[in-house]
Amino acid sequence: MNTPPDAKTPSPVTQTAVTVALSIYLVGLVLSIVGNTGSGSSAVVRTIKSRLFSPWMVPPWLDLGFDYRLTYGSDEDGDFSVEVRRQGDAKAPAMRLPGRLTGERAARWRRLAWSIAVEDTDRDGLLAAAVGRGMFDDVGAEDVTVRVLRAPLVDRGGPPTVPVQASSARVRMVGGELQLIRAEPRGEVAPLVRPDAGSDTGDRAAADAVEAPR
Amino acid sequence: MNARSSAAAGSSFAASGTGVAAIGDAWNRFWFTPADSRPLSLVRIGAAAIALAAWWSYAADLQAWFGPAGVLPADTMREWRSPYGFSLFDWAATPVALTVLFTATGVVFALLLVGVATPVVAPLAALLWASLLHRGPMLAGPADDCLSILLWCLAIGPAGEHVSFDSWLGWRANRSAPAAGWRASISQGLLQVHATAIAVAAVLAQLKGDVWWNGLAAWYLATGPRSGAASLVPLMARSEYLTNLLTHGITVFEILFAIGLWCSPTQQLVARIGLLGWPLVGLLAGEPIWGLAMALFALPLAVRR
Repeated sequence: MNTPPDAKTPSPVTQTAVTVALSIYLVGLVLSIVGNTGSGSSAVVRTIKSRLFSPWMVPPWLDLGFDYRLTYGSDEDGDFSVEVRRQGDAKAPAMRLPGRLTGERAARWRRLAWSIAVEDTDRDGLLAAAVGRGMFDDVGAEDVTVRVLRAPLVDRGGPPTVPVQASSARVRMVGGELQLIRAEPRGEVAPLVRPDAGSDTGDRAAADAVEAPR
Repeated sequence: MNARSSAAAGSSFAASGTGVAAIGDAWNRFWFTPADSRPLSLVRIGAAAIALAAWWSYAADLQAWFGPAGVLPADTMREWRSPYGFSLFDWAATPVALTVLFTATGVVFALLLVGVATPVVAPLAALLWASLLHRGPMLAGPADDCLSILLWCLAIGPAGEHVSFDSWLGWRANRSAPAAGWRASISQGLLQVHATAIAVAAVLAQLKGDVWWNGLAAWYLATGPRSGAASLVPLMARSEYLTNLLTHGITVFEILFAIGLWCSPTQQLVARIGLLGWPLVGLLAGEPIWGLAMALFALPLAVRR
């Protein structure tokens, strides 16, 4: 090594210790990247990372995947916002965030809205409930609707888009207990066939066949 | 040949089959050859400025998010985040305590910017930043991640030896100029490793999406709510080729950046291109602070003499 005469070089013991520390960290870095992808991770990577590396990489905010896709042009890449209003009163003034906020401050509200719409479903609506409860005073009611709106991406050459509802939940306080009632998306349902409401030629077996999958 | 170039050369030497000793030599040259800490001081100034901007973005909504009656109460966040997550802000249970701790965080970032008691302030800044992020993990974005890495790298190296209040005090006391050291080398080496890791991870993530292959990603970025490239939209609407070129340009840039940082002939050029390229990508993507943070990873290699 060609080093200046006044350069500070580590002792062999220090060099060895630092080498060990660096090696462990670099393995952790690779596992963090492999274990935090949007595609998920294998059980073996997940187990090794969560048992050996996450306990000391998570607290300093180093357990990061860096999977900055920027965009996939998909629904999840749209512009998300959160709206809270008094339940059952469409004319009541609503809290809309980020609203007209700009910059990084607005981006943080958008990320919160995105998390409510995308990640909260795996966590029993924890965030939606917290946001609803936190806005009781702002809205002036203890029974509110928390909606996340998504502005779909504009396709090249396509018409401008209007925001659509990405998720909705009713949050209310009943007897000192917080309740969350999620509005499930209305799916397509088969027509209900009731045996006793059938025609004179009603076929009981056919009705059973319709109801059986339930 | 400088230390990092030597390391790259050493790496290829090892790859040709001369064995473990050559790999060990290359490792030692890369991590332990004493390095000048001036570039690290520049990274400190840039990272502290970004940290102040990011910190400020929490200020107006601090109580609305983290206050006792806020939308992200501490008990909910403990359930939400990783079980290993930890935040000093969890203990700030009153509006006053929250304000005090948050203000203290800003003061620490300001001290880091100026370079006061840097060996203490730099790790404290990293710890407080990680704490703030853990208090509301869903509010954090790419810039916040990169800033965390930058701050921990600064905590390792002597980031306050130049262009700082500390160095001014040393000059007043007639202390000799700081010598090159191995801690600066480790710190700058970690910056280089992370620059590559982030670029590689980003490219891999992007290439899983169709829009990065059919060339339309730049369109969706430019028409996003935060994009700083709205003036490009009419041009891109007229020319699909321009949209495609921008999209593929970003991918090629990220790949070349990740590889070029490790090839001695291209290292400095690529790093300098990164100083301009990352902020432009960040601007287009609506993540300007992330773009600036990424540029900081390339700064030591770009300014090295």
